[in-house]
Amino acid sequence: MRFGDVLLQLVAGAAALGATVLVGLIVWKLVDGSRLALSKYGLGFVTHVAWNPVAGHEVYGAGSFLFGTIVTSFFALLIATPVAIGIALFLTELAPRTIRAPVTALVETLAAVPSVLVGLWGILVLGPVLRADVEPWLHSALGWIPLFGPPSSSGASVFTAIVVLAIMILPIVSSISRELFLGVPPELKEGALALGTTRWEMVRGVVLPYSRGGVAAALILGLGRAMGEAIAVTQVIGGGVFIHWNLFSTGDTLGSKIASSYQGASTQLQAASLIYLGLVLLVLSLVANIAAQVIVRRVARKHGVTRGGHA
Amino acid sequence: MPRFGTSIRIASAVAAAAALAVVVAGTAGASTQKRSNATITGAGSTFVAPLVSQWISPVAGAYGIELQYSAIGSGGGVAAITARTVDFGASDAPLTPDQFSACKGCEQIPWALGATAIMYNLPGVKNLLHMDGPTLAKIFMGQIVKWNDPAIVKLNKGVSLPSTAITIAHRSDNSGTTYNLTDYLSSVSPAWSSQLGRGVAVNWPAGVGAKGSSGVAGVVSSTAGAIGYADVAYSVQSHLKYFALENRSGKFTTPGSRGILSAASSDQKPAADNSLSIVNPPKKYDNAYPISTFTYVIVPLQSSKASDLKHFLFWAVTKGQTGQYTAKLRFVPLPKSVLVVAEKAIAKIHS
Amino acid sequence: MSAHGLSGPRVRLDRLPRRRRVNTTMEALAWLAAAIGVGILGVMVWSIASKGWSALNLDLLTKPPIPFSLTNAPQGLSNAFAGTLVIVALATAMALPVGILVAVYLNEFAPPSIRSSVGLVIDVLAGVPAIVVGIFVFVLLVVGSGQSAIKGAFALAILMLPFVARTTMEVLALVPNSLREASLGLGVAHWRTTLSIVLPRAAGGIVTGTVLAVARVAGETAPLLFTSSIAGTQTSWNPTHALQTIPVAIFELSESPDPKDHARAWAAGFILLLFILLASLTARWLSARRTRI
Repeated sequence: MRFGDVLLQLVAGAAALGATVLVGLIVWKLVDGSRLALSKYGLGFVTHVAWNPVAGHEVYGAGSFLFGTIVTSFFALLIATPVAIGIALFLTELAPRTIRAPVTALVETLAAVPSVLVGLWGILVLGPVLRADVEPWLHSALGWIPLFGPPSSSGASVFTAIVVLAIMILPIVSSISRELFLGVPPELKEGALALGTTRWEMVRGVVLPYSRGGVAAALILGLGRAMGEAIAVTQVIGGGVFIHWNLFSTGDTLGSKIASSYQGASTQLQAASLIYLGLVLLVLSLVANIAAQVIVRRVARKHGVTRGGHA
Repeated sequence: MPRFGTSIRIASAVAAAAALAVVVAGTAGASTQKRSNATITGAGSTFVAPLVSQWISPVAGAYGIELQYSAIGSGGGVAAITARTVDFGASDAPLTPDQFSACKGCEQIPWALGATAIMYNLPGVKNLLHMDGPTLAKIFMGQIVKWNDPAIVKLNKGVSLPSTAITIAHRSDNSGTTYNLTDYLSSVSPAWSSQLGRGVAVNWPAGVGAKGSSGVAGVVSSTAGAIGYADVAYSVQSHLKYFALENRSGKFTTPGSRGILSAASSDQKPAADNSLSIVNPPKKYDNAYPISTFTYVIVPLQSSKASDLKHFLFWAVTKGQTGQYTAKLRFVPLPKSVLVVAEKAIAKIHS
Repeated sequence: MSAHGLSGPRVRLDRLPRRRRVNTTMEALAWLAAAIGVGILGVMVWSIASKGWSALNLDLLTKPPIPFSLTNAPQGLSNAFAGTLVIVALATAMALPVGILVAVYLNEFAPPSIRSSVGLVIDVLAGVPAIVVGIFVFVLLVVGSGQSAIKGAFALAILMLPFVARTTMEVLALVPNSLREASLGLGVAHWRTTLSIVLPRAAGGIVTGTVLAVARVAGETAPLLFTSSIAGTQTSWNPTHALQTIPVAIFELSESPDPKDHARAWAAGFILLLFILLASLTARWLSARRTRI
């Protein structure tokens, strides 16, 4: 072993070590910063619905923001999934060869739009349209469901945030699904078609079951992305503190609350509580991310594919 | 893609180079205007931000100091100066004893005088509708939900009010303007005082949260039927209507220089920490606008930029109060007694 | 079929007309989904372009902003454009070498077990939300000492690192082992082989990965809110000060009540989007070019 080899291995190894340690460092710094709130509230903070900063009555809890994060991400995924899978199937099965590449590029371009621009569009274009047309229609058609209560008056609502998030996670789920569907062995598909199935039956019976695991990972990655989005959400969600079932009311999520309040925390306890919110968000994203990565690796092993590129 | 290869590559390269050239040329041009040799950074109150922005170029001209101010809310200002991430903070809410001790050797100095306007957006309805404290409290508590509620109609006989729903726009960040408003609402409504209290942020039972006074003004101007609160400069700038509020003597007053000056005369002697309270003054100040407030700059007594800070602050409380900066924004020059205290406090800053 | 655990499609080979109808419906839905996907993008880009058009002029790049302007003096966002250039350049300078070193270690030196576990950690790092990275850098570096463009760049570098490392790893894996073996067989040291033979061969892919990472972070707002948001209005290139950036400027302007502020936000957003699209297109073209060779 020459000196140069040792040096390179040391330096490169140090970089790798640093990168690995980074995740742990992030967790540790957040735990450290939220110590005051951790010791005062313990784990009950996570589900406690309260956020009162008034001096003398200070009490904080993550409950309503955790609810907001879960509701917005879940519904965003619900809306985005069928569209994303539809796009992926379209691109792999139906699209004429000439439009396949441009449409793929266009859908992936959607992922390139920065979240602050999506939020700007949400405030100034989408919000007013939802408030004026979509929400009243949904309320009149489905108002008996508590989710679709009286429409919002200002365009800033949980519903607007859900639509914005759905738009943002659509390209991720779609492009991963597209790659998965492309990886289905052609002989399986041709075999089914040769038996006389329609194309849809072939998709339902061969493509989807084959890619089941990968699509699950894609959905989880999309969910993680939706949970972590703070900027676009804070621009359109209206900053409400309480839990409402009505999707058209204002609300808040973990990331959005941090983005709107962190700079101006008025007491140490409030600052620590906001970092605690960040810790909860980090744990949620890490769980989603690790789950997705584990599934991806397991699926790759099962189908004998070497780990290639993925989003 | 291969077909377009070369042309895209050339186009991208040319576009990138052109963009870079324009940006560098333009920004180089812009930055040769005033090469200042000192920079003072500050952050905080959105209430005083319009006035501070007017000060930036005269201060640069007079002393060569480049002033950078970021309006992140009074809470943000206090947090920033406590962490010493800026050279001065600005807050409309006076510091609590806990905040003073956390700040470790800071003082607060009143440096501007203004008022919080209650703005509304009602197309077709006149400006300066009448409003009183208890009704306003009920509106912000979500108990009055329509514009043609009997309580509002009673105050505005002869005005035809629509049945539009009231949308409340409040601050989502920690705000001295919120402190000012809730201070007022606590003094006119026992229900408000016991349920919500006074603070830089409260548990708003209803409404949309927006960031900064700009954000609140933004929600109000884009939502018919909205009501919000911010320094009166924002209403002026966004051409928003605001209420004439009933003060303790029964008069309906507006957030203009007369109303603010009259309110200011109700507390001429700053307390030991230099704070003043002029919200809802007693009825002998019959022209007072009841939601007026002083606003403070928070500085460390010991600072590496002491001399520049002192130049800036002396200028701000004297020349910075003249009509050319304050009149259009409805700020009022500091009263003499307050000015004396402010100057004494500024002189204490040392390096 | 059973090797993949599939039981095969269950169909009634008679009921053909009904099955055909179901098939047609499903195909129509897929077309609809694609139309929605493309349509949303079209609507958004159209909004950004058409609304930003009125403010898209040279003033945007050359004049500084005048907050709370009471006159109609021309203003722009020159400070934000300069700041974005500085911060993104610094972030790239921080992330690129570290990312390459990490990939070199994992691909050239590490045993497979370390490669897969560290690779997992890097993929997990890619999923940490930007706002959490922002708080992290704030608590680590900003508290007590102030904001600066360098600290903002550090936050962006953390976001870029997994991209650069992962794409570099993939292109390094594509370099044929025969090259390495030939070089080592000739007596060239391992380190020299890596630096002079393997890395240059992978250079194209590394550039592609970097360009994609730049496109990703050029639009990031959350980390900069905590590290470089209290900035001056005059254009500055000094990285030890906090500098205004385009995404943060758009964020602040988006909540303003003034339509002129909105127009400037749209225009700046249009330029930002154009830059990001150009970068992505370039990366895509570069990688297509590579695979053709």
